[in-house]
Amino acid sequence: MPHDPKILDHEYDGIQEFDNPTPGWWHFLFFLFLVFGVFYSVVSIAGSPYLPSPETKHKRASIAATLKKFASLGDLEPTADEIAYYAQDDEWMAYASSVFAANCASCHEADGGGKVGPNLTDEFGKNVRTIEDIHTVIANGANAGAMPAWSERFHPNDVILLSSYVASLRGTTPFSGAPAEGEQMEPWPEPAPRPETGDDAAEGGG
Amino acid sequence: MTLLQSQTPQQVSELESFTYDDAIVRKFFWATLIWGLVAFLVGVILAVQLAYPQANLIPEIAFGRLRPLHTNAAIFAFAGNAIFTAVYYSTQRLCKCRMWSDKLSKLHFWGWQLIIVSAAITLPLGITQSKEYAELEWPIDLAIAVVWLGLFGTNFLMTLVKRRERHMYVALWFYIASLVAVTILHVFNNIWIPVGVVEFLKTGEVSSVSNLMKSYPVYAGVQDAFMQWWYGHNAVAFFLTTPFLGLMYYFLPKAAKRPVFSYKLSIIHFWSLVFIYIWAGPHHLHYTALPQWASTLGMAFSLMLWMPSWGGMINGLLTLRGAWHKVSTDPVLKFFVVGVTFYGMSTFEGPLLSVKTVNALSHYTDWTIAHVHAGTLGWNSFMTFGMLYWLAPRLFQTKGIYSVKLVSLHFWMGTIGILLYIISIYTAGITQGLMWRAFNENGTLAFPEFIETVTKLMPFYWIRAIGGTVFLASSLIGAYTLFMTWRQRPAKYDVPTHQAPALTKYYDDGPPPVSRLTSNAGIGHAGDRFLQGHWHRRWERLPVRFTVWVVVAVSIASIFEIIPTFLIKSNVPKITTVLPYTPLEIAGRDIYIAEGCYNCHSQMIRPIFSETERYGDYTKPGETIYDRPFQWGSRRIGPDLAREGKTNPNAAWHYDHFYDPRTTKGSIMPSYKHLYERDINFAEIQPRIVSLALLGTPYGDAVTNAEEMAREQARQVADSIREGSTVTELVDNLEDKQVVALIAYMQRLGTDLTRTPDEAATEEGASE
Repeated sequence: MPHDPKILDHEYDGIQEFDNPTPGWWHFLFFLFLVFGVFYSVVSIAGSPYLPSPETKHKRASIAATLKKFASLGDLEPTADEIAYYAQDDEWMAYASSVFAANCASCHEADGGGKVGPNLTDEFGKNVRTIEDIHTVIANGANAGAMPAWSERFHPNDVILLSSYVASLRGTTPFSGAPAEGEQMEPWPEPAPRPETGDDAAEGGG
Repeated sequence: MTLLQSQTPQQVSELESFTYDDAIVRKFFWATLIWGLVAFLVGVILAVQLAYPQANLIPEIAFGRLRPLHTNAAIFAFAGNAIFTAVYYSTQRLCKCRMWSDKLSKLHFWGWQLIIVSAAITLPLGITQSKEYAELEWPIDLAIAVVWLGLFGTNFLMTLVKRRERHMYVALWFYIASLVAVTILHVFNNIWIPVGVVEFLKTGEVSSVSNLMKSYPVYAGVQDAFMQWWYGHNAVAFFLTTPFLGLMYYFLPKAAKRPVFSYKLSIIHFWSLVFIYIWAGPHHLHYTALPQWASTLGMAFSLMLWMPSWGGMINGLLTLRGAWHKVSTDPVLKFFVVGVTFYGMSTFEGPLLSVKTVNALSHYTDWTIAHVHAGTLGWNSFMTFGMLYWLAPRLFQTKGIYSVKLVSLHFWMGTIGILLYIISIYTAGITQGLMWRAFNENGTLAFPEFIETVTKLMPFYWIRAIGGTVFLASSLIGAYTLFMTWRQRPAKYDVPTHQAPALTKYYDDGPPPVSRLTSNAGIGHAGDRFLQGHWHRRWERLPVRFTVWVVVAVSIASIFEIIPTFLIKSNVPKITTVLPYTPLEIAGRDIYIAEGCYNCHSQMIRPIFSETERYGDYTKPGETIYDRPFQWGSRRIGPDLAREGKTNPNAAWHYDHFYDPRTTKGSIMPSYKHLYERDINFAEIQPRIVSLALLGTPYGDAVTNAEEMAREQARQVADSIREGSTVTELVDNLEDKQVVALIAYMQRLGTDLTRTPDEAATEEGASE
């Protein structure tokens, strides 16, 4: 500083104070944010289409994501054929494996070998005889609520694709399989052949 | 000038002699240092526990119980004693007056240390309210109110009244604001019903020590969350910011031997800070079940707060103009410069994090933890150490500090430690936040298993532990240096006598300001006279009026936000299928609270798509109306549990998992084996239900029959564990074990929303 500004006549235990003005940029930003804060509060609380609520944004994102995911798939039906068909669709099974990892692996292990939930890779089913039973168990739950009813949470297509994924685990070799429970299951049906061109499976997972 | 002109002979009083009480300052000095080391050590232990879960050796010092001890020790023991050191040293000198009562000073000192010791005992025992930085249970809350306001407050305010310096310096304004605001915050966030007292009044006895210490807040769910974060945010404001600004305003110009940059800035930033800070609390609850308007105000006021906060930084840094050459040689100034710089950084980052879209990413991650440590380590601890080094030669009457080289070493190691800590944890926070929201091309979560987002952080957690250790080591060097300085003290401290005239009753504030404007608009002239600040100069000599205006400033905002939160019914729409927790679930919930599970698990799913994909439907305000206290959490070290009962109701899974969380590969959760040995105290459940019913929870039959209902549900849960395929050995008398109650609570979480009305009716019938 070439020269100090005016010192006030205050003095406290040797501490003095300058009579400096508050910096201009500080004032500018202070008032800018005051004005913005009031403006933003009023607009946001009064409601504006430019500031949708988080719930509205969530709903839009959710619909958009479902449309994007299942646009090529349409509405699936929980039939034996449909479940068996998608169990052989690599792309949709890659999709379902991620849903499985997020929601099922804690009880059934990531590879389906079973832990407190039954082994899904062996030939035996606790509540499952036919391929449709898989869908019933996932959708409605089982074992007095130990297995939750996932239809409350998932899109119907997700429940069907998960059923296909579980069906596809049969016969794979887990890292360490839980002991078999229940009875021998029926063999899964072969899905009816579908036309190749324009087939939803070809674009599935996109 | 005006002072001399206005004095007439009869207004000048006799010179009075007085001494300062430095013995009490020395006591607080050592308490600051010792508790600081404890807080840092516990922090390092916690950092290691996160990186290496086997370090959760015994349940009393497992992460969930130890983390509140760390935060309380850092805030109330370390920073608290530092504040008192600063206040007791500077107030006496700024008022030319000994503290009003030596007895109150001593009672305050020992009372505060007793509170800290009781915190260090009760928190590891799981005696906690689970509200962050307000964990201490009701008897300690009462003690805090008495010691803070009754002893410290009385002593401080009476010293102001008895002062011999006409005007109060800016440091004192900040002390007043801290005293007033912390009192209001503490009282209103801690309104509870003590279970043991209710039980005693009804039955004439108390069934257990834990019931005696237990309380339930009068607020529930959304309102409880709102009150807690109104408190939590302003604890940062009025415990870690305003008193330290007061500290800065005294010690920084003293150390730099320079006048304060701008008196005008002091006035504007003080009042704007005090008025605006108190509104900002709801930014801790963006996207939660808190009503939108509150969240919006929280964000708006946080942005407005930026410049008032920076006013303090500007006044701090610009006071050093003309003294920068001293910074390179004087270690005290080094600590202050870095401290104030961290303050500026944190108070820029705070508003940034309060922006809703930024918060969507940062909330629940380590970003918040990094932000907090930049503030507490960078600002609070460095300002404290700077003060301690400046004080040591004066308090211990030595020629200087024992070794300036060691102080420099402390400074550099401390700075490196802080940087290692915050840089690694910023990286961890942003990494995890981005992983949580990442999607694959096919629309699925890129990291569907939560654990993937935890194991990724391990290298950063180790770097954090190293950074923390370096910081702890630097503080030990500091403690050694201060100890060695103390050893050079004289055999007997010299107590110099000072002289000053007592204040006379009459004082002329000088001529009223004249408008400098040339136009003749009346309002313009009034405005210009106002801007000249003559009125404020007058307030500065009227401590009672000043204090009252601070109370008004702090209360206005609080009232504007708090009252609507309680009155607007539509903010929390009632959901008919949401029912009170059963007696066993309450027992389990209280275990969840005692173990500190909320320190790592949130129970609040935000309406953000990646979040509902991971955890299920977002949490509705009406779902939490029976939550006393609320358990929304603030950090997801583990996954959110708000819908645990929907997505993972399997009793057998929980039975395996609590015993050995490593059944999930890579999990860093501590084991809860002790819950398999300790019995549920069924006798203490009934009084708890009675207390909750007293607060308005509609319990039917459970008000008289809670114990039997709890036993029955425990038998059912135990049976379902036995039926499941557990790998963990089944303990004898499983239905009596605490783990069963905790599992019952887990199975209930988030299930009410999708319960059909029929099921609800049956449940309700069963409980009546």
